This record gives sequence, C-alpha cells and structure tokens, in this order.
Amino acid sequence: MNILFILVGLLALILINVPIAIALAIVAVLAMLATDGIGALPDLPLVMFSGATNFPLLAIPLFILAGAIMNSSGISRRLIAFASALLGFIRGGLAMVVIGASMFFAEISGSAVADVAAIGSIMIPAMTRNGYPKPFAAAVNSSAASLAIIIPPSIPMILYGAMSNSSVVQLFVAGIVPGILGGLAMMALAYWFAVRHDYPVAEQFQLKRLWSTFKDAALAFLLPIIILGGIFGGLVTATEGAGLAVIAAMGIGFLYRELNWRHLKRVIIEGGIQTAVVMVLVASSALLGTYLTEAQLPQELARTISGWTENRYAVLALLNIFFLIIGFFLHSAAAIILVIPVVMPLVQAVGIDPVHFGLIVTLNLAIGQQTPPVASVLITACSIAKANVWEVTRVNVYFIIVLLLVLVLVTYVPVVPMGLVHFFYR
Amino acid sequence: MSRWRVWFENLLELIVLVLMVALAIEVLLGVTYRKLGMSLSWYDEIASVTLAWLTYYGAALAALRGAHIGVPEIVRLMPRPWRVATVYVSEGFVFAFMILLAWTGIDVLDVLATDTLVSLPTVPVSYTQSVIPIGAVLFIIAEALHFPQQLAEARAGALSVTTTGDP
Repeated sequence: MNILFILVGLLALILINVPIAIALAIVAVLAMLATDGIGALPDLPLVMFSGATNFPLLAIPLFILAGAIMNSSGISRRLIAFASALLGFIRGGLAMVVIGASMFFAEISGSAVADVAAIGSIMIPAMTRNGYPKPFAAAVNSSAASLAIIIPPSIPMILYGAMSNSSVVQLFVAGIVPGILGGLAMMALAYWFAVRHDYPVAEQFQLKRLWSTFKDAALAFLLPIIILGGIFGGLVTATEGAGLAVIAAMGIGFLYRELNWRHLKRVIIEGGIQTAVVMVLVASSALLGTYLTEAQLPQELARTISGWTENRYAVLALLNIFFLIIGFFLHSAAAIILVIPVVMPLVQAVGIDPVHFGLIVTLNLAIGQQTPPVASVLITACSIAKANVWEVTRVNVYFIIVLLLVLVLVTYVPVVPMGLVHFFYR
Repeated sequence: MSRWRVWFENLLELIVLVLMVALAIEVLLGVTYRKLGMSLSWYDEIASVTLAWLTYYGAALAALRGAHIGVPEIVRLMPRPWRVATVYVSEGFVFAFMILLAWTGIDVLDVLATDTLVSLPTVPVSYTQSVIPIGAVLFIIAEALHFPQQLAEARAGALSVTTTGDP
C-alpha cells in the first residue's frame, strides 16, 4: 500500500511541477512518517546532509569547472580551426567539423550541454552564414554534442557509477568504441545530407594551414592525454583526474593568454548551480532510498519481472523501451537518480554486467537529450540557432536514428562496449 | 523588491563561486599530497562537507533562478485558472517541505552539539550540518523572490523548462 502511495504521490507532485528533488523528498518523508511515526523526522536533515556528501560525485563540479575554464580560454576556437582545416574541404565539411570538434571536446568536458554551448555558439552561426539551413545546423550540433556523455569523461557515467556501485573508470573505457562509432556514423549521415542537398565545401585543403592550426591547438590536444591517460593508466582516480583537468585547463588557459575572467566567473557560478541541482536530487534520492531499502521495492520488482522472463536480452529490450520513454520527459541526471537504484537488482538478477548496462543507460539518455518536450541539448541548440524545436526535430530524427542504431549494437553486441574493458581490466 | 533580489543573488553567487574554487583547491591539494606520500587525513571529509555546502547554497541560487528540474508540460496545457491554482499548490508543497527541513535541521543541531568531525576534532559537526537549516531558509527566501515571476509565467502560459542540471 505504501509503495502504491509513493508512486502515485511522486507522479502527482511531478505532474504539478513540484521540482523533482523536492517531490522525492516529500514522498520519502510521508512514507517515513507512515512507517516509523514522528520519531523518524530527525533523519530528514541528517540524510539530506549525508546524501550530499557522496565523495565520488566530487568529480562532477570539477569536470564542470574544467570545461568552464576551457570554454573561456579559446580552446574551442582552436579546435574548430583545426577540424575545419582537416575536414572543411569535404562536401558538407562544416557539419563534419562540428562532429569532429564535438567528439574532441567530449574527451574533456563530460557534458553535452557544455559541448553544444561551446561548439554550437561558434559553429551554428558559421554554418548558417555558409548557406546551411538553420534546422540542419542546429540538428547536427545538437546530436553531435550528445556524444559528450558517451565518450569519456562523462558526468552521467559518474552519476550512474555512484548510484549502481560500478567502476567509473570501466564505464569510461566502455564508452570509447560506441562514442567513436556514433561520431563516424553521424559524419556519414552528414555527408549524405550534404550530397543530397548540395551543401557547400567550406575551404580548399591546404597542408600548410592544417599544420599551422595543429600547432595552434597542440596544447589543447594534450588535455585528453593528461586527463584520460591519468585515469585509464591508474595514476589517478576519476575524481583526481577531474582535479587534474582543472589544473591542465588553467595552465593551458594561461599559456594561450586568452582567459576571459568575466566569462570564467559566470560559468563557474553556472557550474555551481548545475552541481547543486544534481546533488539535491542525489540527496533526496538517498532519503527515499532509505525507505525503499526497508520496503524491498527494487527486489520485489526484480522478482516480478524475472518471474516473467529471465532472458537478459528480453529484459534489456524492456529496459531500453522504458528508458527511451523516460528520456522524453526527464533530464538525464534525474532519470539516473530516480530509476537506477530501483532497476539494479533486476539487472543483476538476470546477469547483465552493470558496466554494460551503464553504457546502455547513457546511450538512452543521450537520445533523451534529443527528444522533445524535455530535450535540454536540442533546446540549447535551437536557442543558439533561433530555430523552431519541431522544425529542427524533423531533421534531427535522422541523427536520432543513428544513435538508436548504436544503442541496438551496444545492447546486443556486448563486445562493442565491453571489448576494451575486458582487454584492460578483466 | 528587485534591489533586494539583486543583492540576494549577488550574495549567493559569491558564496557559490568561493565554494567551487575551494572545492577545486581541496581536491588538488589532496591529490598533490597523496602523490608526495603525505596524504592529508582531513581531505576526504572536508571535501565532502564542501560539496554538501555547495549543494545547499547552490540550490538556493537555483531556486532564485527557477533552475530546479521539474516537469511543467502538463501544467502548461491546463486552462489559465488551473495553471495559476496549480502554481500556488506546488509552491505550497515546496514551502511546506523547506519549512519542515529548516525546523528539523535546527532541532538536530542540538543533538549534534557534542559531536566533532573525525579528521578535525576541533570542528563541531553542528557547524558543518548548519548548512541544512541555513540552506532551507535561503531556499525559502529565494523561492519567495522567484514566485512573482513564476506566477506571471503561469498566467501567460509560458512556464519554462530548465536546461540546468542536465549534463
């Protein structure tokens, strides 16, 4: 009865637009009062505090801070210049520049919204100036940005790791091949669009220009080597790697002498807000988690569904559909925090590797960032392009199909995400 | 009202900025000292407490800007009188919860009066835990300052979807 009350209450509060973090906390408090009486109330401030002290999640503000510093130090501009010299001679080359630069930025930032803000704010105006239709420019920037949460480092993977007790480093490694595959498939699609709609060639290929832009961006290329090399090499943890990213970004910012302090201050504050919004959700879910653990709801769900089928591929298909539907209505952080603690016992009961499942969840949420009405990355791209969300979606559907194909591949060919994990860690 | 809002927003921004920078410095110190073989005993505990402080001061700033993750789509589809009524009801839930959190948060400080941090015994737990009642009060003020804007958006049928918090 209490379980039904929690689900209905939570849904009702969310549907009347109570912030999800507070809706979670309210139903948790009511469930605690119903079960343990008023004596449970002192747990409220204690759990809300301890829930926000989750040490591995320290990596989130640090990666956000590193991304903010990089965004304020001219790195995006240099990456785009290099990608343009490398790919700009191909028909529809600017779209490929967007995808290439987004993939590279993804190796540093871990946030798709940060990626679309950094690359899209430069590339969407450049593409429209060069004759690309606004909806296409917004769609390619939006979808390419979602590679940022698949290619390591990735903030949703850090969250998933914390909520499922999985290795964040192994999750990062599992994201490499699917991220690259997704990027290459998007480039092929962009080329098909360019040929079909006769999009322009941006510039002639010049080896001299390629070399000069490479030299200009050489320090930026060191960043992923420092960050990911340190983490994958076991020299630093993911949290420490995030700290290293801050130092490296700061150092490169000073060397480039382009750090814009006013912009930096603003993005640090935005990063603080973003961290807080996610962490309040984490703290509230800890409060509800205390009750759910007592009530054994996740275990009950696992027993019920594994009673229908123990075929892991059928369970994965069910979970994929569930996450795709959730992606229409929830931000990725909220989806992970709400759903992962509930479905993990089921995932383990049918023998799915938690790291493999982490990649599946991340890909689903990357698609969710592109599907309105709740589609943070798409909406950011549309607001930069000043384009209508539904017009952009009509083009973006093709890029979403690419992400869906990668999702199917990752789900049913586990070697795609897990090959490198097994090679290096198991 | 707007002068107070600007002053309040500047104050919260300053706190969030300081906490973000402090957090980065703590982690960097922690990594450096560990690599030098002189691990700082207080690093994990203080960094975690700083993250909790950032969470609740940042949450108040997010409330002031209407940046907490919600689902306004259904409310947006309602007729105007329902939209406005729903905003009052949802805000009522938010205020009620935050008042409860502030009240229980103050109560718990007495219980924790004699406890100290494990790694820094000179720092009382009630000092670090104080962020809960302080954060809750700041959240209430922020929500009250943001409420007129939210009400205006509900009247105009333009309740906005935040992109904050989604990585």
